[in-house]
Amino acid sequence: MERTRIYEDLSPFLRRTKGTVIAVGIFFLVLLFSLWKVQILDHEKYWKLAESNRIRESVLAAPRGLILDRQGVILADNAASFKASIIRENCQNHALSLPKISQLLGIEEETLRLRMAKYESWPLFMPIVVRDNLSLEEVSRIEARKLEFPELIVEVDPRRFYPFGSLAAHVLGYLQELTPEELKSEKFRRKNLGDLVGRTGVERQYESLLEGANGRLAEVVDSQGRPRQVLARVEPQPGQTLVLNLDFDLQKKATELLEGREGAIIVLDPKRGELLALASFPTFDPNKFITRFTPEEWMALVNRPDHPLENRAIRGLYAPGSIFKLALALGGLDSGVVTEQTAFFCGGTVQLYGRPFSCWFAGGHGVLNLTEAIRQSCNIYFYQTGRRMGIERIAEYAQELGLGAVTGVDIDGEKPGVIPSPAWSQKVRKTPWFAGETISVSIGQGPVVVTPLQVAVFTALIANRGARVTPRILRSGGSIPLSDGEPLTQSTSRIRPQDFEVVIKGMWKSVNEEGTGRAAKVEGFHVCGKTGSTQIVSRERAEKMKKEIKTHSWFTGFAPRDNPQVVVTVLVEYGGMGGATAAPLAKELFELFRKKYD
Amino acid sequence: MIDRRLFENIDWFLLGLLLFNSLVGVAFIYSSSHYLPGNYYLRQLAWIAVGLITLFLFLTVDYKILLAYSYYAYGLVILVLFGMLFLARGIAGAKSWIRLSSFQAQPSEVAKIVLILVLAKLFSRDKGMLLSTRDMLTSLALVGVPFFLVACQPDLGTAICFLPLLLAAWVLAGLKRKALIWITIFLCLAGGASWRFYLKEYQKRRVTSVVFPGRDPRGAGYQTLQSRIALGSGGFLGKGYKKGTQSQLRFLPARHTDFIFSVIGEELGFVGAAVVLLLCFSLLRRVFSSVEKSRDRPGIYIIFLVGAMLTFQTFVNIAMVVGVFPIIGIPLPLLSYGGSSLLANYIGVALVLNVKMRRFANI
Repeated sequence: MERTRIYEDLSPFLRRTKGTVIAVGIFFLVLLFSLWKVQILDHEKYWKLAESNRIRESVLAAPRGLILDRQGVILADNAASFKASIIRENCQNHALSLPKISQLLGIEEETLRLRMAKYESWPLFMPIVVRDNLSLEEVSRIEARKLEFPELIVEVDPRRFYPFGSLAAHVLGYLQELTPEELKSEKFRRKNLGDLVGRTGVERQYESLLEGANGRLAEVVDSQGRPRQVLARVEPQPGQTLVLNLDFDLQKKATELLEGREGAIIVLDPKRGELLALASFPTFDPNKFITRFTPEEWMALVNRPDHPLENRAIRGLYAPGSIFKLALALGGLDSGVVTEQTAFFCGGTVQLYGRPFSCWFAGGHGVLNLTEAIRQSCNIYFYQTGRRMGIERIAEYAQELGLGAVTGVDIDGEKPGVIPSPAWSQKVRKTPWFAGETISVSIGQGPVVVTPLQVAVFTALIANRGARVTPRILRSGGSIPLSDGEPLTQSTSRIRPQDFEVVIKGMWKSVNEEGTGRAAKVEGFHVCGKTGSTQIVSRERAEKMKKEIKTHSWFTGFAPRDNPQVVVTVLVEYGGMGGATAAPLAKELFELFRKKYD
Repeated sequence: MIDRRLFENIDWFLLGLLLFNSLVGVAFIYSSSHYLPGNYYLRQLAWIAVGLITLFLFLTVDYKILLAYSYYAYGLVILVLFGMLFLARGIAGAKSWIRLSSFQAQPSEVAKIVLILVLAKLFSRDKGMLLSTRDMLTSLALVGVPFFLVACQPDLGTAICFLPLLLAAWVLAGLKRKALIWITIFLCLAGGASWRFYLKEYQKRRVTSVVFPGRDPRGAGYQTLQSRIALGSGGFLGKGYKKGTQSQLRFLPARHTDFIFSVIGEELGFVGAAVVLLLCFSLLRRVFSSVEKSRDRPGIYIIFLVGAMLTFQTFVNIAMVVGVFPIIGIPLPLLSYGGSSLLANYIGVALVLNVKMRRFANI
């Protein structure tokens, strides 16, 4: 089709464009010629330059920030560690050298091969770490055969070292090597092959403060891998030192007390929420994780039936048992279904909803009021209170008091637990709520489960007469200032202070007036506490099985009664009665605290 | 809205070349960065998708309308650049030798497109066949202001990208040959003066290192030398895709951005580099030859200026990689990794297609 120009003659522009295209063509010919010169004529020269004059870039690992307890005891340190890496491009004959290297390093050839295969697709110049924690003897053995194996290099790294091994392992957490997949992700874009990263605890939570920034070293090396000239050196920036709220002595004591049991202990400052100790047992040695190549040991830990990696203090879910009676008492007082003087009769057993419910004390407590009921931990009293309140109100008050929800502590992985309600039953169990269950829940049995840390924070709330705190592991570090001074009060419970006084009176009696918590009594320190023993199976079933099944053993309390300074929560799995097992452990911690701080 | 007949008039060959070049880029972005965190090749693919959508969006609006609003866009860009002059203070990006394509590129990429439209509007007002002094001075001011603002950031490399637009507009408007010679002389003098008064020490070293890359292998000559070693060691047929073992380029962070061409040259050798060169040239030729399909003067200016923009960047980048031009951090259009530059080039090509497909009637 003939093109028609409606408006004007544009041919001068077309002419100028043609000229330009010719000029562009000439430009490109110049480029092509330059390429020819560099790639064909000077190929030999550049090929030699590329071969003889290698540049190696290595990472100068930044030491991780130290982790200290509140008094400056180093809980996580750094130690120098030698590691051996293979740079594949320096190697002439892999098949020949690999068996020899595996012999030299003392690792199985197959392990070495697997390790190399894992990073197969990575560029040949990248060093692959094949062995770490070399002894000085091994280092000198490798260095002596440097000419034979130019691909094998030894580097020094600062390596995480936990001087006290398993102490506070669950709080500190552990480090693990990044996987090839993680290395490609955005989150770890600044990390390198073989870098370790915090997987749990403080190491994970405050990774960004602890990690520091790696430095870089670029140097010219000859074909033997010997450095000839430093091109660039960027010094590593060490990570920041973190100070934790943990008190080394209390933490140590708590760990010792749990030795040989399964359970958790928490020591908490109720005013500021500072966690003075947080122990979970059984435990593990985080130093073991740092060696990069013992997957068997790790799998063994993961698969152990008593789950040593699990932080029971924040992830263990347990029925609160009689500890829950404190929530019932507070809820009952506030909602007006009971007063301090309200009395119920305990005859050892009671018929409710056509079913017998018994007290732990088969002989019965007789007539008792609220504070006496807390002192004696009478089940019947709280069955009656719970029946009057109804499940909806029980759930409402339990949640108000911080149970069944994460506490917001600054370590990852906290579990919320369950405070059951009819709505929860419909949603999760797909069954309606049974009236009898309300009675079980009234003494902290049935579907209700909480973590030990929740119980500790709940106790702090009672000690504060209603002021809620968020438990904190970190004291200071980075831009976070020292958390001294003002209490970290979040919000205040709507329950009246005088109701707390009634419950606290009961807790004081429990410890100091021959109540269930008497084993926690510290002369002159006015400990207020509550025991709990949670049945894992119902008593009837236990009798049927003709087997003595021990209950989980709880104690939680604070001291002194006025101006509280410390909360101690103890849970021992299968520990028997709370007053017999958990309370004496708590006593030792109260005593130690008093010796140190009072 | 877009008419079906307009859609039929899209230059599918040009669009195909655009896409093909971009995909070649992705292949080598993958080759040079697949072991790095960041998934650059996937991101580039995402940018290509965004670029294509933007391209089709730009096709739906008649370029006449774009021209009508161009002065407002220009005002906005000047405002942003002016603001950046104060905000960008203290950011060491432009100063560091290692960060070649700093994020400051983004507003200036937009500025290029807006300048193309503004210049096309300015010059098409005139009905004459030769460049008038008035137009010359007006256009000098129009380009001078953003040039000055970006050069003060200081990001001379990006600012220089505006100048070929001005020169191209003049050439197309009918710059006399004598004037062209005068301009060349002026540019030489300006270069000498800026060497004396404006250029920073590191910039001077970049220039000297083109002539003597071996003099300072640790500093400015470093990248030039490493780039040449990579290209040169590639030889005739190259070392093979993903087998570019040339260690020297490994710690240039710009190897998948500004130095993508040296990766191609190392892995595919002279043959591959020449093919890519040919691909780039074909695209430029196709753009320039589109002027014949424009129905009016503004259309011709738009096409010509887009061609000039792409030509300048392609030429400077490859010249930089080959080592015959100072390293000023200009990415290779369509092939280098980088969202804002890719998007700007896609919009540029969209403008060309826009003019071309509306060549016949007043739809």
